[in-house]
Amino acid sequence: MDDRALEALFEAERAAPPVVPEALMQRVFADALTVQPSADSRGWRGWLRLLGGAPGLGGLVAAGCVGVWLGLAPPTALPDLAGLVLGVESTEVYDGQTDGLTGFGWDLEES
Amino acid sequence: MHEPDPTPAGNDDAALLARYAQGDPAAARLLAARLTPRIYAHACRVLGDSAEAEDVVQEAMVRLWRIAPDWRIGEAKVSTWLYRVVANLCTDRLRKGASVGLDDVAEPADGAPSAAEGMQQRARQDALSRALATLPERQRQAVVLRHIEGLANPEIAAILDVGVEAVESLTARGKRGLARALAGEREALGFEDYG
Repeated sequence: MDDRALEALFEAERAAPPVVPEALMQRVFADALTVQPSADSRGWRGWLRLLGGAPGLGGLVAAGCVGVWLGLAPPTALPDLAGLVLGVESTEVYDGQTDGLTGFGWDLEES
Repeated sequence: MHEPDPTPAGNDDAALLARYAQGDPAAARLLAARLTPRIYAHACRVLGDSAEAEDVVQEAMVRLWRIAPDWRIGEAKVSTWLYRVVANLCTDRLRKGASVGLDDVAEPADGAPSAAEGMQQRARQDALSRALATLPERQRQAVVLRHIEGLANPEIAAILDVGVEAVESLTARGKRGLARALAGEREALGFEDYG
């Protein structure tokens, strides 16, 4: 059999290629959707998911606010870091003697 | 990865793959519609078994979906990469002893020829399939890629992971093997007037 006859056979095969079964196309597409990375996993949404979503981000913001608050207005038992950094003494120590108020109302009962 | 791919079609495939990796489901459908028929036809022709070909195609496409987030546009041609995966999966199956059963070959598309022409075309396709099955696996893949699917030798070299000269040798030996296998069928296939 010569090249012309072989080429005729190749042409017959090219003219009628195997048809992909519809069920195979559906399986391929289903696999694609299963494996596909979701749009949520990319960009800023991806970072948000890494932080635990909205609840995680809320907790992070709350913790940050508390940290700033403690830094600027620390309780008496803690050193005033903002004052140390800025060189300003801002902590006021309440000695309980400068006015007549107490926590228990003794002064009101006795008067 | 293989040679850079400057062709528009290749870039389209790569762009669709990038869209798929970004979460676009429409890109998956478009890419599957573009690539699946080509690799299914190749797997059918090489394996001679439509059920085996379906398994190979599904596995190859899953690998494509999985690599999508790491695909770098311009480094390789998507179809070449996919053909290579399919060629390797076919090789694995043939080496495990998957038999070529002509009764299992997928039905070809019906181009609505006349009854006589249709019978002759079908007879020629069956004869070619039987002859391909007699070739060594590498020659079979090279002949199918070159002479039926029309790929260029450098792309076939990338798919089969050999040099271009090796591809030329494989296709030449493959054609000689086909000619020998079909020598007794010239008249039956309507080639009385051919040399």
